[in-house]
Amino acid sequence: MQVKDIMFKQVIAVRRSTKLKELLKLFSKFHIFPLVPVIEDDNKLAGVVSFKNLMNVFKPYNPDILKNVPFLDEEKDDDIFSMELTEEMGSLVIVEDIMQTKFISIKQDSSLQEAFNLMKLNLKEEFPVIDNEGKLIGIIGVFDIVRHVFHQKGVI
Amino acid sequence: MNTVLGLGFILLAGFFSARLIAKFKFPSVTAYLLLGIIMGPSILNLMPEGILNSSGLISNIVLGIIAFGIGQNFSYDSFRRIGKSVIWISILEALGAFLFVTLSFFLILRQPFYISILFGSIASATAPAATVMVIREYQSKGNFTDTLLGVVAIDDAWCLIIFAVSLAIAQAIYSHMLAAFFLVNVFFNSLLSILGAFILGGVMAVLMRYFSKYLRTQTDLLIFTLGFIFLNIGLSTYFHLSVLLANMFLGAVLVNIEKSSSKFFESLRQVDPPLFLLFFVLAGANLEIAILPSLGLIGVAYLVFRVAGKVTGADLGGRISNASKSVRRYIGLGLVPQAGVALGCALVAKNDFPSIGNMIFSTIVATTVIYELVGPLCTRYALHKSGEVAAAAHS
Repeated sequence: MQVKDIMFKQVIAVRRSTKLKELLKLFSKFHIFPLVPVIEDDNKLAGVVSFKNLMNVFKPYNPDILKNVPFLDEEKDDDIFSMELTEEMGSLVIVEDIMQTKFISIKQDSSLQEAFNLMKLNLKEEFPVIDNEGKLIGIIGVFDIVRHVFHQKGVI
Repeated sequence: MNTVLGLGFILLAGFFSARLIAKFKFPSVTAYLLLGIIMGPSILNLMPEGILNSSGLISNIVLGIIAFGIGQNFSYDSFRRIGKSVIWISILEALGAFLFVTLSFFLILRQPFYISILFGSIASATAPAATVMVIREYQSKGNFTDTLLGVVAIDDAWCLIIFAVSLAIAQAIYSHMLAAFFLVNVFFNSLLSILGAFILGGVMAVLMRYFSKYLRTQTDLLIFTLGFIFLNIGLSTYFHLSVLLANMFLGAVLVNIEKSSSKFFESLRQVDPPLFLLFFVLAGANLEIAILPSLGLIGVAYLVFRVAGKVTGADLGGRISNASKSVRRYIGLGLVPQAGVALGCALVAKNDFPSIGNMIFSTIVATTVIYELVGPLCTRYALHKSGEVAAAAHS
């Protein structure tokens, strides 16, 4: 069984230029913020926006800059309630500002075992799925794999 | 005190002293360093022999881990993110401090060239902890803050390169003082140390990528990553190559050939905090307070010329990259603190040059304490002048 056989195909993707306001609206009916693939005009996968990336909007600077810096004191939990945010930010902040360009994607013909191991090793629960040209064709989550196993064993 | 009791005491005392010093708005590294000085043989003499004797081992491991992490900066993605102006300013402030200190030691203080170049190269380092702490405290925001953060983030990479090249030159000069074809030897030995480190780091990165297919869990990942770093440190020591560069290249090549390389770097975060704590405490404990009075002039020259070099270099970098006036004028003042990387380089110098190592090391520890106490004040001044301090922080 391969990733393409059980992946979710109607994936919601955004562009680099998508505004923060539009991004949040897309998921207004969700109770969680999922992993959102970012695609170019030709459907090539350019990046992803995770919940963690979304939270960067609350920070005065992009914390990724300091990712490689040794000996820093850990940041205290942000107090999102007292943070000064303005209405314009909804249009000023775009996906390109917060997206992550270094991320893991998985090929459509990878095995489920491979996908599951990769999730465990990297502590991730979702991966965008790409074809051989790097174009986005779906998304697969750990629950998709688990559900498949339940199904295979006859539990459901 | 036995060794394990000592370790327990250091970790807990480190924890509480960091909490205490945070009340006065200084970073943890300052607390660890001061704790080491107080516990060290010069003052309370509470440091168990076994731990003091392992200073070399711990600093080698810590430096290997740091250099590996710094290698991550060398990716297209990272350079694109930080931008042109940060690259120019960071290269020139590091070179500025290097040149000012090297030349002032050589021409004014009349120190031998290999000592001057070692001091100069250590001077290029900047410690980000204090600067980042002030930025967080002030919630400052804007172009000046972004440029400053970018510069402190990438600065250590330039420092490691400058230090590795200078160390190779200093070693060549020191060991070939009487040899004929002096310059040829210096050049050849330096090149060998650096090229060798590059090849070793590159080969290790390819091996690391290849064998990573056997990794299954987070535990595997940590063991595997540490194993490769230790192997790389050990092999570069064995072949007399630059340990710092070999590990930096390992990180740099890995980040460019492996798309999911961040997992290796992130796995180390589980073990590095206590190691870093020990590293700073040991650095403090190795300070020989008795020799400080004899270092007065050297210390003052280092303190003054390092900052002058950083301010001048940053200004020049700002001019070349068309940075704003406030960035050009004040960014150098945000780069005053020095800590981990400078101490690490000084420890390497101490081990490689036993006759002058103590002089270099003690000067760097003493100036680190002064810079770490004065640095945050300079950063506060620079941020106020740049006009990017949040209104809430004023009140």
